[in-house]
Formats: sequence, C-alpha cells, structure tokens
Amino acid sequence: MARNLKSKKRQERIANNVTLVVLIVLSAIVMLPIWWIFRSSLMSNGELFEWPPTFLPKRWLFSNYKKTLEFYPFWKYLKNTMTIIVPAVLGGTITATMGGYAFARLRFPGKKFLFSLCIGSMLLPTMVTLIPLYIMWTRGLNLVDSYLPLILPYFCGGGAFNIFLIRQFISTIPRELDEAATIDGAGHFRILVSIIMPAIKSAMIVVALLLFIQMWNDLLQQIIYINSDSKFTIAIGLSQFKGSLKSDWSAIMCATCMSFVPGVVFYLLGQKYFVEGIVMTGMKN
Amino acid sequence: MTNQLLKSEARTAYLCLIPSIIGLVVLTYIPLAAVFGLSLFRWEGVGVPQWVGLKNYVRLFSRDPYFKDAICATVYFAFLSVVGSMVYSLFVALLLNRKIPARGFFRALFYLPYVLPAMAVYIGWSWLYETNFGLFNYLLSLVGIKKVMFIGSSKMVIPSLALITVWLSGNLIVIFLAGFQNVPRIYMEAAETDGANAWQRFWRITIPCMTPIIFYNLLMSLITNLQVVTPALALTNGGPGNSSCFLSYLMYVYAFRNGKLSYACAIAFVSFLLIGVFTLVLFATSKTWMFSAGGDD
Repeated sequence: MARNLKSKKRQERIANNVTLVVLIVLSAIVMLPIWWIFRSSLMSNGELFEWPPTFLPKRWLFSNYKKTLEFYPFWKYLKNTMTIIVPAVLGGTITATMGGYAFARLRFPGKKFLFSLCIGSMLLPTMVTLIPLYIMWTRGLNLVDSYLPLILPYFCGGGAFNIFLIRQFISTIPRELDEAATIDGAGHFRILVSIIMPAIKSAMIVVALLLFIQMWNDLLQQIIYINSDSKFTIAIGLSQFKGSLKSDWSAIMCATCMSFVPGVVFYLLGQKYFVEGIVMTGMKN
Repeated sequence: MTNQLLKSEARTAYLCLIPSIIGLVVLTYIPLAAVFGLSLFRWEGVGVPQWVGLKNYVRLFSRDPYFKDAICATVYFAFLSVVGSMVYSLFVALLLNRKIPARGFFRALFYLPYVLPAMAVYIGWSWLYETNFGLFNYLLSLVGIKKVMFIGSSKMVIPSLALITVWLSGNLIVIFLAGFQNVPRIYMEAAETDGANAWQRFWRITIPCMTPIIFYNLLMSLITNLQVVTPALALTNGGPGNSSCFLSYLMYVYAFRNGKLSYACAIAFVSFLLIGVFTLVLFATSKTWMFSAGGDD
C-alpha cells in the first residue's frame, strides 16, 4: 500500500514536469507574435527588410518611439479613448451591480420574465441592432460625431452577461448578513452599498475589465460614430496611421506596441481578482 | 406589514433595474423589431421610406453579387475559429489546472492576447504575415516550405484570420479553468477509490461535469464569430476579391459606405436568422451530450 502510494506520487510528479515543459513551449509560441512585433519596433526599416530576419535587433533603437511620437499623436488618441472608456466602464459596472442585486436578492412581480429577457439578450447578436441604433442616435437624437452613442449604452445595465455574473456572485454571499442588517434598520440600498458591494469587489473588477476590453475592441462602432480627426480613438488613429504610412513598418510597430500598453497595465492590476471572480460565480447554469 | 415590506422591496428592485430595462427595451428588443421593419422598406437615409415588402430579401438571394460569398466566408471563418479556439483553450486550461509552479504567471500569459486592442493585433499580425520578410514565412523557410501569401491569397486568408482568433481566445481558457475548479472533488475521490485511472477519471468525470461549460463556450464563441467584422475592417477590407467579405462587413459597407440603410437591414436580419439557426441546432443537440447533475437549480 505504501509502495503503491509512493509510485503514485512519482507518477504525479512526472506528469507535472511534462505539463510544465509543454506549457513553457506553448507559452513561448503564444508570446512569439508579441515579441516579434516589439522587436520590430526597435529596428530600423533597413534591418526589418533583411533576409534572414533575426529574433533580436542588432541595436535596440528605443529612439524609434520618440521619432514615431513626433507624427503619431498617441497621447491625444489615448486621452480620447479614455474619455469614452472611463465613464462607460463606471456606468456599466454600477448599473450591472444594481441589476444583479435585484435579480439575486429582491422579490418583485415579473422577476422571472425580466430575467429571461435579460438572458435572452445574451444570445442576440449585437451586429443586428447596429443600424437602428445608429439611426436613433444620429437622426433621432442628433448626436453626430459625438462620444455619447458609445458611452450611454453602457449606463443601461452593462450587458446581460455582466448582470448575470454579478447575480451569480451575490447568490454565494450568505443571506444572514443582509438579514442582520435589516434588523438593524438598514434599507435595501444601504445593504447593497455597505454589505453587498464590499463583498463582491472582485466580481465588480471582473466586470470592469470585461467592459474595458469590450470597448477597447469595438472598432466598428467607433468608426461609425466618430468622424473628425480631433476625436479619433487609438483604434481609428492607428488604422489611419497605418494607411498613411504603408511601408514604414518600424514606425507602425512602434505605434502598435504603444497601444498594447494601457490594456496590459489595466489587466495586470486587476489580474489577481480575475479567475477568482469567474470561479466564484459558479458559471453552472 | 409584510405586504408593505414586499412593496418597498419591489420598488427598490424596479429602481435598481431601470437602467437594465431601458437597455433591454430601447437598445435591444425595439431595435431588433426595427431592423426587420426597416428591411421591408426602400430607404437610403433621405426622404420618405418606400414600402417594398420582401423585395430586399429577394434581391439579396437572387441578384446580390456578394451575398453568397459573404455567407460562405462567414460560416467558414466561424467554423475554423470555433473549433480551433475550443480545442486550444480546453487543452491549455487542462494543463493549467494541474498543480504546477508559477500557475498564475502562465494563466496571465495565455490571457494576455485577449486584452490587446483588436486594431493593434491585426496590424501587428499583418506584419507577421508579410510575404517576403514576415515571421511566418521565415519559420516556414526554416523547414523548407516555400513562401505563402497569407493575407494576399483568397485560399489562405480565412485560415490565417482564424488563427489570430484562436490566439485571442484567452477568455475561453479562463472560463474553462473556472469550470474545472467547480468539478466536485468528491466524485474524483470516489472514482479513485474505485480504482479508476487518470484517463478514465478524465473521460468519465471531468468531461461530463464540464459539458455545461463546454456548451456555454461553444455557444458564445459561435455567436461571436458568426458576427465577425473587425479583421475585415482592420486588415483585409473584405479582400482579396470577396474572400473575406463577411456578412457583417457587407452590411457595414452597404449601410455606411453606400448609404443603403434598409437593404443593409435585410442583411442584418438574415444574419440574425443564420445565427438563430445555429443556436437552435446547438441547443437541440445539446440534450444528447450535455450532462446535467439533475435536481439542483
């Protein structure tokens, strides 16, 4: 029996070592594109068009970034992008939390129906509603060349998935906590703000991160709603920049790398909460 | 007293839900009805819409030069992307689920591509795919394969774009990982006591317990990838030829470059139906392979 256990332990150790090796190889493959883009940003164009290409630059030309910034207004684009993302992420996270709280804790007529509507909308492709929404914002409300059509929708619940995620998370918190607070005379809002919200901090960070990524990637709507150069976001600015340069790949890769940074920073800050947040929700039903 | 309490509870609930209800009604379900309504008119953004019934659809299916290609490209892309990213992310999640050192680091690493802005990703990859000096052709040359036009040839463009999607599928990995951690330990221990080996435990316990998560990921990535538009916007402009002219991209071109808003609505509605059919098929077949623990909600 003891020997059996020992050999089992050894087997496990071998399996773990194999796993580790496979993971290292795989992650090197996954990182290779990012490395290649980064290393290209540090090379001169002459070096980029040499054959065979090399994995390391001969000289690390960090000055490429300075040169690129002279004609690529990254900071302006970043500021514009943040002007959209910051209010939208806040709005989405708060309204999703409110919706999730109502579905998780409160009793009210029509709850089942509203919840099915909400889950049903998760299956609805966003592309389908694009044109009617465009007509509503630009013709109905006359919001042409404005950030509002990009921001305001996020103040409306922040998406069904996020409401669902918050609801699942709140369900894991023992009800006794709210009941104790009720006896102490706290209203539902007080409970939400002072008991529920601190307890679901990691879920709220997950929601904020998901919303951030979603907006970050939403090239199509940004193209549709933003017209003037001065309002360009990073996504549109980058595509414009590439279109105007065509073959100055070293500058294009600099601009690309710069636009990688904000997302990565935000992710690394929230990373700790991330898997925990999704695990806690159960994701079962 | 209790009645009054319930009333105040309901009032709070509706207050909390006002934003979501507005979102659902004004931004989701009304536009869905509107897209169908508009598709029955002829309207190019100015003047009074003209009733044409189903003519937009008839034209779409009989005379539109791009529509059939667009459907094929979309379905082909979605198929490759969904299969590729499901296999890749399930495999990585399995590896990450073992007790290995620096797990958090690896997890962060595989998730990283997902947090990069799409536009930058496609521009970056277009350099990797460059025919003469790009990374991929360099790697292929090392094993003696002749240069491939990844983005420039109509045969390769869809698989090349799908590969980027697979690379970006870090979010699926995280959801799979979460699922693994919810597989009840008791089942595992019971099976182990009964003498089941690792392989049997994987196929008889882990996978059945994971089927709801697999279903969820499959459904969501199918819906997302059938709506694909960004690679065409950022990289290919639908080309070469019409080979990457996805349905959503075609809709965008008709609506926002040619001003044919109502005609584009017909495309949007067809794409809604297409996604609906795929969703229904998935739901219908899921009964045969999805494991449910029964009883609990």
